[in-house]
Amino acid sequence: MFQRILIANRGEIALRILRTAREMGIECVAVFSDFDKRALHARLADLAVGLGGSLPSQSYLDMEKIIAAAQKTGAQAIHPGYGFLAENAVFAERVRAAGLVWIGPPPAAIRAMGDKITSRRVMQAAGVPVVPGLVDPVDDAAAASAAAQSIGYPIALKAAAGGGGKGIRIVREQKDMASAFRTASGEAKAAFGDGRVYLERYLDQPRHVEIQVLFDAHGHGVHLGERECSVQRRHQKLIEEAPSPVVDAATRAAMGATALAAGRAVGYEGAGTVEFLWSRGMFYFLEMNTRLQVEHPVTEMITGIDLVREQLCVAAGEPLSFAQDAVRFQGHAIEVRVNAEDPTNGFLPSTGTIHNLRLPGGPWVRIDSCMYRGMEVGVNYDPMLAKVIVWAHDRPGAIARMRRTLQELNVGGVRTGVPAALAVLENQRFLSGDFDTHLLETMDLSARGDEARAAAVAAAIQRWYGARRRSLESPKEGLRAAWARRGLEAGTRPGSWAAAARAPGEGP
Amino acid sequence: VKYFVTVNGQEHEVELEERLGRIEVRLDGAPLSVRYEEVDRLGQVALFLGERAYGVSIEGQGPTSLVTVAGHVYQVTLEDERERAAHAAEREGQRHGGEVKSIMPGVVVELLVSEGQEVEAGTPLLILEAMKMQNEISAPGPGRVARLHVARGEAVGSGAKLITLAPTSPPQG
Repeated sequence: MFQRILIANRGEIALRILRTAREMGIECVAVFSDFDKRALHARLADLAVGLGGSLPSQSYLDMEKIIAAAQKTGAQAIHPGYGFLAENAVFAERVRAAGLVWIGPPPAAIRAMGDKITSRRVMQAAGVPVVPGLVDPVDDAAAASAAAQSIGYPIALKAAAGGGGKGIRIVREQKDMASAFRTASGEAKAAFGDGRVYLERYLDQPRHVEIQVLFDAHGHGVHLGERECSVQRRHQKLIEEAPSPVVDAATRAAMGATALAAGRAVGYEGAGTVEFLWSRGMFYFLEMNTRLQVEHPVTEMITGIDLVREQLCVAAGEPLSFAQDAVRFQGHAIEVRVNAEDPTNGFLPSTGTIHNLRLPGGPWVRIDSCMYRGMEVGVNYDPMLAKVIVWAHDRPGAIARMRRTLQELNVGGVRTGVPAALAVLENQRFLSGDFDTHLLETMDLSARGDEARAAAVAAAIQRWYGARRRSLESPKEGLRAAWARRGLEAGTRPGSWAAAARAPGEGP
Repeated sequence: VKYFVTVNGQEHEVELEERLGRIEVRLDGAPLSVRYEEVDRLGQVALFLGERAYGVSIEGQGPTSLVTVAGHVYQVTLEDERERAAHAAEREGQRHGGEVKSIMPGVVVELLVSEGQEVEAGTPLLILEAMKMQNEISAPGPGRVARLHVARGEAVGSGAKLITLAPTSPPQG
């Protein structure tokens, strides 16, 4: 096993990896940008190397700086986390060429799965079911319109090099194609440097169900069941759970076998996720994410398997320590992502300083968070601040536990998607298990909640105390206000009824 | 003091009075037994309305504050009587502004219209990138692009003016 590894990431995932590694007696090297010089992942690591810069391109995406940091600190391996360089085959190759171990799948597997078009071809050849659509990408709106006619509307536009919900647009009618193509292609170009887009049929009542797989370097592979990720906004997941309410044991086995076939077709090693689109009892291969997923904890909670530990063991060349029949699924786990965003305003990003923080706790509650008091939330990085994960014996128990947990959470300084998650956890369709990826768009997420009276009273008293405190802190102001008030009461300015009603000490 | 407090689109009147060092509260005219204990100076408050206990967090001191109660966030607008009168006058003054403002901080990736161009409601005006997502900002109503306040590649803050739209057919005179 390694003595020292470098974690080429930030935020909660850097902490997540660090925690398991430290438990295994492995020293961790953190890297951090200027923006993150106070970040928890840098503070809790054994060694920390500043990369400079605040933009991702100057820090967490700078391959040379990261490899140099690993060499300087004597790290033997690099864990990329998710996002940034995690699915970058060139980086994986460079890490290996520098004599370091890449904690991830072989570069060839990343490459084969990273291009959605190549992966569709490989999967079709391996007999894995795929969604009807184009095999070749298009690079202008006219070609997209022509292709859409033959596939049939509604159409999903997806970035050829995409991931993470970026560069995806749903087009329902011909007239919307040009505008959708422009934004999808522009977003893809900005995010991945590749503006090519491909088209596929958009399936009705789609659910997003994915299978976690794990392969060692000795030809063994296991699947760890599914995760249900259909609660999404802007094509990004908000709530994930395991198991899925629609997958029974037989389907789980079938999907697991398909996922393992998909991984084998590209010579996969390490932890990976095969995403499926589920529509009316059928499942189709969407893509394979060649990295640890954000939502991996729900699988950990129902299997008792630490996925980061398995990644480290596989990378160190160890064979898997268990076979498929040793994998047991117990109970139900739910994860809610806490993103800096405003659910009452179309989930637009919210920025600010977290000045006020109350984290939940209690039995079977896990908080994977990078938040601390005083943390700045900017626009340069992903808006995810934390993940709240709970476990219970069954789905209703897990839902009740998550509601209780989110009611305890308080993030002050930025808005978060938590109120939307609470609304979902009270939604009848979600509770019944009969929902699809459109659930969130169909819900009214504007102001809600039953404690408006308490909020009104609290805000009024806070303002009143605030005004009084300010007057005490600047006695001259207070005296002046009192003098002015006496003047008003004496009738020197008749008609100024409003000023007379001012709070004591509240200046003009 | 009387505050007019709007939450979830509903207005409440909260009257506060200090008597013998204790705060007395009337909510919509009815007396309410209230205890309010500040936990810290950062906004955490222990609030008791009668026997009900609330772990409340309040952000902001201005006319608008965000109050979190049991995971739900309430946007609360507060006015005292003087502010209420002033705001009413202000609202009357600016019945319509044809300004398209940025609702989030970001970078202008592309301008899709030029000055003088006529647009309809929903016409894409520009693309704003924030947190790696590209967002198409479209016209809220029909009009003519009177002025572009931003250029391609420019970083804008939340609330920044992006584009001014003028009425399509200006009123006579």
